[in-house]
Amino acid sequence: MSNAMRTPAGAINVERYQGAVAEGRFRRLWNANAPGYLFLLPWLVGFFGLTLGPALMSLYLSFTDYDMLQSPRWVGMANYVRIATADPKFSAAMHVTLTYVVFSVPFKLTFALLVAMALNRGLRGLPIYRAIFYLPSLLGGSVAIAVLWRQLFASDGLVNAALSHFGIEGPSWISHPSYSIYTLVALSVWQFGSPMIIFLAGLRQIPQDMYEAASLDGASKFRQFYKITLPLLTPVIFFNAVVQTIEAFKAFTPAFIISGGTGGPINSTLFYTLYLYQEAFGNFRMGYASALAWILVMIIAIFTAFSFLTSRYWVHYDD
Amino acid sequence: MTFRVSRRNFVAGGATLLSLSALGTSALAQETRLRLLWWGSQPRADRTNKVSELYKAKNAGTTINGEFLGWADYWPRLATQVAGRNAPDIIQMDYRYIVEYARRGALAPLESYMPSKLQLEDFDPAQIEGGKVDGHLYGVSLGANSAATVVNAAAFKEAGIDIPTQKTTWEEFGKIGAEMTKAGKRKGYFGFADGSGVEPALENYLRQRGKALYTADSKIAFGPEEASEWFDMWAKFREAGACVTPDIQALYKDTIDTSPLTVGKAACDYAHSNQFVGYQAMVKDKLALTNYMRITPDSKGGHYRKPSMFFSVSAQSKVMDLAVDYVNFFVKNPDAAVILDVERGIPESKAMRDVVATKLDETGKVPLDYVAGLGDLAGPLPPPPPTGAGEGQLILRNIAEQVAFGQLTPSDGGKQLVTEITQILARG
Repeated sequence: MSNAMRTPAGAINVERYQGAVAEGRFRRLWNANAPGYLFLLPWLVGFFGLTLGPALMSLYLSFTDYDMLQSPRWVGMANYVRIATADPKFSAAMHVTLTYVVFSVPFKLTFALLVAMALNRGLRGLPIYRAIFYLPSLLGGSVAIAVLWRQLFASDGLVNAALSHFGIEGPSWISHPSYSIYTLVALSVWQFGSPMIIFLAGLRQIPQDMYEAASLDGASKFRQFYKITLPLLTPVIFFNAVVQTIEAFKAFTPAFIISGGTGGPINSTLFYTLYLYQEAFGNFRMGYASALAWILVMIIAIFTAFSFLTSRYWVHYDD
Repeated sequence: MTFRVSRRNFVAGGATLLSLSALGTSALAQETRLRLLWWGSQPRADRTNKVSELYKAKNAGTTINGEFLGWADYWPRLATQVAGRNAPDIIQMDYRYIVEYARRGALAPLESYMPSKLQLEDFDPAQIEGGKVDGHLYGVSLGANSAATVVNAAAFKEAGIDIPTQKTTWEEFGKIGAEMTKAGKRKGYFGFADGSGVEPALENYLRQRGKALYTADSKIAFGPEEASEWFDMWAKFREAGACVTPDIQALYKDTIDTSPLTVGKAACDYAHSNQFVGYQAMVKDKLALTNYMRITPDSKGGHYRKPSMFFSVSAQSKVMDLAVDYVNFFVKNPDAAVILDVERGIPESKAMRDVVATKLDETGKVPLDYVAGLGDLAGPLPPPPPTGAGEGQLILRNIAEQVAFGQLTPSDGGKQLVTEITQILARG
């Protein structure tokens, strides 16, 4: 206002004119789009309030010492330096998580693809089978699963009972530090429902006449799979691989429930997120846990970027 | 179609929303609404809620919202609520965490309410002391208990072996355990659980040797020699088959239902006396309580009467007076005492102890007699564990497992335990 007072009269008019035009355009845009924004409002509130806000907050906290009871104290890069140089539990957790990713993702995808192909052969009652195979994924990390896994993999469990018929005396798979992680891999493979459904959809997209033409030419079933199914399915495989890898990095509940939150025996099921949770809520080190979280974000980002970069050598989008 | 919200409508709508939200927090409701948070199982919740009902009946217009969780979920929830300025008015507090919460200003000091609103005259002075941090009272003890060995008396009878007594040494205990395992009356049954990673058991052992876990000024109070000897003793028990194998012990998740004793793998386990009621509820066989073993026949002072849990009042509470009144009711009202029984430990108030003693059933009498009969086994209450003690307990369990699974020798295990705990305490 005070500025406008001192400028020549003509200039004020121009400003006013431009202001009026801008205001009018804004008003028109608002009138046209207001319902849209109103419908978006819950999502916007959720995104800014529950995703972006907390994420930025945790980025800030990762540079502080914060015990949740007193206000955060700025410590600069100290948390990150400690993660990189002086935290044996970080490397233990990283090792467990990478083992889990490397074993669970390929097995899970292979299994999901095999089941999807079996289901794709026009079975009667297909929806029922789909639902049954999807069920384990819904059960997720419930307490019932922890109990079930104990019944299966404890020293006197079902797995060892089966092995004893062959004269093998198995260890307690679930509570021996050398094997416990693989019982969690098995749990993850068993929960193959969601990649299976996506594979099933992908298989449906492959034109049947290609197979007909191939079998007329005398191609074996295996050759048909190798030359038709697999190449045409690569976009779906790629999608599933990226999603499942990210999921595997973030795995938390199974280890939390089966080990009772300890990550034991001897850190053998100390998943990265479980360690992060222990630091944040068990040891009151929210700042340090935030730094751990951002390291995980970076690792996942690197893995995903790597997948996308290599994808052009093996993913085919041509029809 | 156009869609308009006029400024006037917007303001009117906002005002309506504001007044609606104000309804929920009217001043009147604030003054009489009490929030209560504790950990424990359903039976404890039933007892607590009954006491709340009783309090409401005597104080018309008060509402009490009680909430409970399991031990493992409880601490994350409490920390989050305190950080979010949404702490419950009354908080069940553990001896392990009282220093952390008190020093960080989350709890209200209560000594100014004594004796007008908080009448603790007939409490054991040492137990009141247990609720103090830096000279201020931050917690009112809800009961006393002591570490104890839970024994499956029926299994011992079956095998024709006498259960350990107050005089039994660790060495003799090892022999008893090996005998029990050898008797083989039950399939895959061992003498006792592996206690090498059980913090109260190690603490008891250290105290008998004149040491402790932590000093009053938050330092480690034992050396690698004691820790190595401890791990070595357990290695010998394992070798002799006296205790369960490490993979059985690894399934124990610090809950009664996963204890080797409860799941039928061992005849003895290590617990606290107030948990006896819980154990007996889950095991069909008749159980008994005895102390932790002695190192030599004349070593003493390992045990102590531990305030099992406290009620603390949040420093953020807006109904401080009401909260203190409720806490006083909880520990001093005879009807409440009868409802609460010895489930949270033996009442600290002498008058309430007398009220409860006459009403106890056989199972309830066991912990009462046990704590009363500790004799020379009991020593003074150690200072509250320092910041980082919760992590120390995890480290002990981790290293005990490494020794048990043969990844560390007992002597290296002892050294590593002391090094790691020292580091944790230095980090704070």
